[in-house]
Amino acid sequence: MAITADDVLTIISEEVPIDRAKLDPAATLESLDIASLDMISVMFALEDKFGVVIEQDDVKDAKTLQDFVDVVQAKAGA
Amino acid sequence: MTVRVAITGMGSLSGLGQGVEPTWKALISGESGVRPIARQFMNVPAYAYEGPAAVIEKLDTSAIEAKYGARVLAHLDPFSVYASIATFEAMEQAGLLDHPALADRTAIIYGVGSGGNTTIEETYVRLFDKKASSVHPLSIPKYMVSAAASQLSLMLGVRGVAFTIASACASSGHAISEGMHMLRAGRVDVAIVGGGEAPITYGGWLSWKAVRAMSSTACRPFSIGRDGMILGEGAATLILENWAHAEARGAKILGEVIGSGSSSDAFHITQPQGEGAVKAMRAALADAGVAVETPLLISSHGTGTELNDKTEAQALRTVFGEALKTDLVIATKSAHGHLFGGAGAIELILGVLALQHRIAPPILNYLGPDPECDVPLVLGEAKPIDYEVLLSNSFAFGGLNSVIMARRV
Repeated sequence: MAITADDVLTIISEEVPIDRAKLDPAATLESLDIASLDMISVMFALEDKFGVVIEQDDVKDAKTLQDFVDVVQAKAGA
Repeated sequence: MTVRVAITGMGSLSGLGQGVEPTWKALISGESGVRPIARQFMNVPAYAYEGPAAVIEKLDTSAIEAKYGARVLAHLDPFSVYASIATFEAMEQAGLLDHPALADRTAIIYGVGSGGNTTIEETYVRLFDKKASSVHPLSIPKYMVSAAASQLSLMLGVRGVAFTIASACASSGHAISEGMHMLRAGRVDVAIVGGGEAPITYGGWLSWKAVRAMSSTACRPFSIGRDGMILGEGAATLILENWAHAEARGAKILGEVIGSGSSSDAFHITQPQGEGAVKAMRAALADAGVAVETPLLISSHGTGTELNDKTEAQALRTVFGEALKTDLVIATKSAHGHLFGGAGAIELILGVLALQHRIAPPILNYLGPDPECDVPLVLGEAKPIDYEVLLSNSFAFGGLNSVIMARRV
């Protein structure tokens, strides 16, 4: 199933939770006060909803939301 | 000198409503929080269950999020969410949010029967159904039975003693009792006590069904034709406070906890035995210094199961004898269902409100008298009363009994 950037950001806003409007793709996770544990919840939700399995190692270099979206889309398309 | 124990805050959340005042209004109007539900756990058709239950259909989290931020309830099992909301209401009423007493002179003792059922089941669905090889790293922090106590401490900034008491349906009764004793012993000035539960899950539903304790129609305490309890969910919290501490800071005192009694049946893992209930009630009366002849409002355990109600009625007759004629028995589980870990606390709160407002809420769904349950009941409509003292029973599976006594102020 194709996953859009919007799908990923919506799941981030629900799981963290954080206001969807604050999720500028260029923003870093750190600047948004999103912890690695929050992102693990996001990864579990992505797996539940889209069947895409993302390991913590896959996103260890992701700094911005866009970096994270890129990893998810690459894994989903693989 | 004996420390008097004031109630300075109360909060509740159940199928009957969110907040103590709306809950009370619904209760005395004879409304029921029980409605038919038809659910699928995790949206899986194979995990469907249906029947009557007192579920929380909507939750207003705006006040708690305005105070602590949008993430205050994130990553929690529902039972900890319910505990947070009920406790926030109670603390706000008590005027103790951000109070210096929270640093080390406040205890949290919270009653929970089984912990995070939703989280446990989601975790195992992942393992056994989806065949995943890993689980969410927050599984244990969410489902551990002490998660609500930890969440309350984190949220409120309470740095004194905090723990969970688990004694099934008597958990919050025991929590209130131990909080009272901590205040009497001078260990703390404030005790945040109560309990909560979120038991309405696929596994929870089938487990209660398997014990044959669940009604397929309605909770009919002490009635002929009663056939079991109705599952509820939610939480209830009381703020107990050293009387002098409450007076010194000008807090409004809502009632007084005057005694408690606890006992164990040592009899059976599911069946109640009257002797344990008798022993706990007598201990509570003695602790409170209240004679059996004193007219009492009795907030019964009243689950609506065949066995509990006749055993409880017999125990009441044994303890009070002829004096029972001047007492009156209420059974609010008929309106809010069984809150398990939160049952003792919500029933104490509703009993204290009945003393305050001088109105006893009606027992719902009554079909007619059962000779084995011959105790004075409030039937039909809410009834004007003028009792000063309340006795509130909680008798748990496994024979763990807790009785709390309170006084109108």
